[in-house]
Amino acid sequence: MRKSQPNVRRVSRRRFLARGGLVLGGALGLRIFPTASYGATQRSGRIVAAVSERMLVLDPADHYSISATSVLRHIFDPLIDVTNDHKFTPALAESWEAINNSTWRFTLRKGVTFHDGTPFNADSVLYTLRRVRDNTKLIKAFVYQDLDAIEKDGEYGVTVTTKRPFGSLPAHLTMLGMLPPGAAGREDSFFQRPVGTGPFQFAGWTRGEVVNLAANPHYWKSGIPRVARVSFRFIPELSTRAAGLRSGEFHVIDRVPPDMAQTLKASPGVKVQSLLGLEVQQWLFQLAKAPNDNLQLRKAISLGIDRSAIIKDLLLSTARPAVCPIPPGLIGHVNLGVKPYDPEKAKALLRDAGYQGQPLEFVLMKDLYPKQLEIAQAVESMLRDVGVRFEIRNLEIATARQLRSAGKYDMFFSGWAHLPHDPDWYFGQWFTKAGAVGLSRYYNPKVEQLIAEARLPDPRIRAQRYEELQRILWTEEEPTIWPYYSQAIYGVRDTVRGYEARADYYVLLSDVSVS
Amino acid sequence: MARYLRRRLAHSLLTLLGVSVLVFVILRVMPGDPAKMLLPEGAPESAVEELDRQLGLHRPLPVQYLIFVRDVFQGDFGQSFQYKAPALQVVLERVPATVDLTIAAMVLIVAAGGPIGILAAVRPGTRYEYGGMVFAVLGQSLPNFWLGIMLILLFGVALRWLPTSGFEGWRFLILPSVTLAAYPTALVARLTSSSMLDVLGTDYIRTARSKGLANLIVILRHALKNAVIPVLTVVGLQIGALLSGAVVTESVFAWPGVGKLIVDAIFSRDFPVVQTVLTLSAATFVGINFLVDVLYTLIDPRIRYA
Amino acid sequence: MSTASARPPAGILLARLWRISPMLVVGGLILLVVALACAGAPALTSADPIKTRLGDRLTPPLGLGGTSTHLLGTDNLGRDIWARVLYGGRLSLILAAGSVILAAASGVLLGLMSGFAGGGVDDLIMRAADVQLAFPVLMLAIAIIAVVGTSPLAIVGVLALNGWVIYARTLRASVLSIRQLEYVEAARAQGATAPRIVVRHVLPNAMAPLLVLASAQFGTMVLLESGLSFLGLGVQPPQPSWGNMLAEGRDYLSNAWWLGTVPGAAIALIVLGANLLGDGVRKVLDPWRNV
Repeated sequence: MRKSQPNVRRVSRRRFLARGGLVLGGALGLRIFPTASYGATQRSGRIVAAVSERMLVLDPADHYSISATSVLRHIFDPLIDVTNDHKFTPALAESWEAINNSTWRFTLRKGVTFHDGTPFNADSVLYTLRRVRDNTKLIKAFVYQDLDAIEKDGEYGVTVTTKRPFGSLPAHLTMLGMLPPGAAGREDSFFQRPVGTGPFQFAGWTRGEVVNLAANPHYWKSGIPRVARVSFRFIPELSTRAAGLRSGEFHVIDRVPPDMAQTLKASPGVKVQSLLGLEVQQWLFQLAKAPNDNLQLRKAISLGIDRSAIIKDLLLSTARPAVCPIPPGLIGHVNLGVKPYDPEKAKALLRDAGYQGQPLEFVLMKDLYPKQLEIAQAVESMLRDVGVRFEIRNLEIATARQLRSAGKYDMFFSGWAHLPHDPDWYFGQWFTKAGAVGLSRYYNPKVEQLIAEARLPDPRIRAQRYEELQRILWTEEEPTIWPYYSQAIYGVRDTVRGYEARADYYVLLSDVSVS
Repeated sequence: MARYLRRRLAHSLLTLLGVSVLVFVILRVMPGDPAKMLLPEGAPESAVEELDRQLGLHRPLPVQYLIFVRDVFQGDFGQSFQYKAPALQVVLERVPATVDLTIAAMVLIVAAGGPIGILAAVRPGTRYEYGGMVFAVLGQSLPNFWLGIMLILLFGVALRWLPTSGFEGWRFLILPSVTLAAYPTALVARLTSSSMLDVLGTDYIRTARSKGLANLIVILRHALKNAVIPVLTVVGLQIGALLSGAVVTESVFAWPGVGKLIVDAIFSRDFPVVQTVLTLSAATFVGINFLVDVLYTLIDPRIRYA
Repeated sequence: MSTASARPPAGILLARLWRISPMLVVGGLILLVVALACAGAPALTSADPIKTRLGDRLTPPLGLGGTSTHLLGTDNLGRDIWARVLYGGRLSLILAAGSVILAAASGVLLGLMSGFAGGGVDDLIMRAADVQLAFPVLMLAIAIIAVVGTSPLAIVGVLALNGWVIYARTLRASVLSIRQLEYVEAARAQGATAPRIVVRHVLPNAMAPLLVLASAQFGTMVLLESGLSFLGLGVQPPQPSWGNMLAEGRDYLSNAWWLGTVPGAAIALIVLGANLLGDGVRKVLDPWRNV
């Protein structure tokens, strides 16, 4: 039966082109994966989502890509899910608790099976967590180095101790799909055709181009998924994604910039869904380099940037001025006030700072953030008006990052999507001495201390510490400009039912149907 | 002849060696660290070092090169950094799409460029010549991405005659191959026309004409044969450009080809994939040029003495 | 006095050129007008090509809903496109001309060396040409630009590196076939040196294809520069060039087509002028036609 699968896929794809194929494709799908007898609904239809970021691997532990996280969430279940308002909810773990500052206990869901029929239990969790901790070739390994013992506590319980407090562990676990323990020792072949407990089964892929999934008829959540098949296509070129949506070839596209959103709104059969994203823009100063080491100059630059003009005219009001580094909804978000625009005060501060008009290099990682080049040019123009000379360097990513590591920049255009739904990683890497040595050269022992304390599992302590350290960053030191929080904007065909635009840029299709 | 071909073969191998060394060295002196490109921004330095070690990048450069050469002779092009799979497999998966696109574009170039050029040359001062001129100018001045997006908006979105992107059948081939072929077709048309004009003005063609040979026979038998050499040169060069320069076209049409793969691999510093693509494409390129040279010697035996 | 005496010959020359080849005159005039317009940009517009005006963004050209303030409309940052095309043209034309000259000069030189010297020199140069062609420009571009930065000189270097091979090959083939001609062999037998053969026999014969190549390449170089901008390796914003204007207009083709189309049209005009000029020159220099 499995052998005939690729054939069927090809047939149904070709049929899909003929535009009569949705029904037939669904029917074939049902024949291949007979629907379970218990309470499963009749599934039909195929959804095609086109996402901007390429997905290159099928191993949940071996990437930090948002698109791979989205796609693999359909094949694998993590222990914990996260909702759009940043609440952690049970997935394969029915419950979890911090027993003390460095011990977590997870109680697992019973009656779940992998696509190949093997049962899910504590062995799966042990294998998955130990693998990501011990195999340092895996991209996610460095995050899990803090795990100490990972032990079975009955058939459906797991206890994890950590080397230091790891309050963001539940958040990290939302991005880590659970693997069948049978994959041990044959990972290479396993990830050619991965098997999970998720709502869809892997049906095939063209590396970096498309992933095809077919409904898992035995999924533990009843009524899910709602369609017979799903395809993810990876299309970095915006015009191409938008054209495919307008022509009806795609049902959902992500990362729509504001101007394109207006075009899409005017297109028949297409709607636009958006919400404030889990992302803050950040423009880093190189703090070890004159003149950026001067607080007065940094303040002057901040005062010379008209954030509301950028938001209103360039982003067409699809962003909100930042009031602290952590975006709204996330633990630690606090209103510390919008940074003002005051060109006169900026000029005065520049005089005080003794700035001589030397050019400052503003480095961008090419094409990484929507509209970044336009925003950088607008900023350059605004700063020229107050007397600061900026030179834009729009460089391919690897070169730009190399310049950043070497400290050869004055301001660096960057952004931070707060995955995995927790600020610990962000502050731990960008504002500790060890992390910032390759970034902005920021160091403040007091802030470092607060970041360490904010790793405790108690959410109240965490929120308080984050507030305190953000106050230092936002009002006292201004080592970085955080201009605005951006919206996540999606284009969706009007035949799609139940699509939820996600703040974390995931594209999740398990609960979505198409008419 | 055999000696000449043997020498050309030796040259081809030398070229391959040159390419492989150059690729290897340039990749490693280019700024940017593969491990940093794999890890998320702000990953700790210890993680970067560990990953560098896992990727074998901690070894001295000559050692890395020798290992690479030894492995290549065993058919092993290494493991792709970002795809976590054998680089050769990653590349070969994309070869069919690239070959299809290249062949379709070549057919267009030869089928359209040649005749347009000949028409423009044999009918000087007519609308054929001016039409050919307009075509040559447009073809040479429209940027690939502009043309591609416009074709998508027209035939994919407005008219819905053709699919906008991807590769799932021959209909998907039409827009990308037109986009890719536009520039070389215009160039070939122009070169054919100017070499034809040159040849048509020569004494022996005039003689042939004065002897009363029919115009068509003169064109086909005498003029075309001589006009084809400079055109062949350029077509040979354009094949190389098509193979490596299809990047923009592939991006615009989300075409699963090698062009996009290599650009992504260069940008993310996926050394094994870059090395594999360049070794293979250099081999293809060298092979094609070898064939073009052989064709030369058949068409114009004087070159053989070179 | 001197101007008065210089004028009639110039006029006569132009008239004679027009008789031989109107294409040459038209092509030359197009290039001249565009070049002069770009050089005289400050006289043709008072708008600042760099200063952004966010409130004015994406106004369409005059006649399509725009006003006479912005003849060709404004771009995504509210800058006047007419001003940007003129100022951008300066850089684009200089980069293209510089790279064609550099590519042609080095290509011709290497081709001649290759053709005359033969043997090891020939092998070396031709292998270098093969390696060059088999090697993606992009990678060299990244490496070079990462080391020396995106200065105009670096861009000229990258473009020329991409263009020299075709001249070298053409010249070499030309040398090889001309060397076999009886009258050239005769000249050699009489003691003519290589430079003399080059000047008397090789260059006149190779001139026609060379000029066609160079004129075609001129437009190609403008396009290639836009390719470099597309990949973030070209002229850095906010400094306009036709290439980066095209690249920046890419995401606006479906809602503000003039952003990419205006610089595209400028490039087409240049390609047209260069092609006409090239064909015209070829006709003028054509050794048989003038007999």
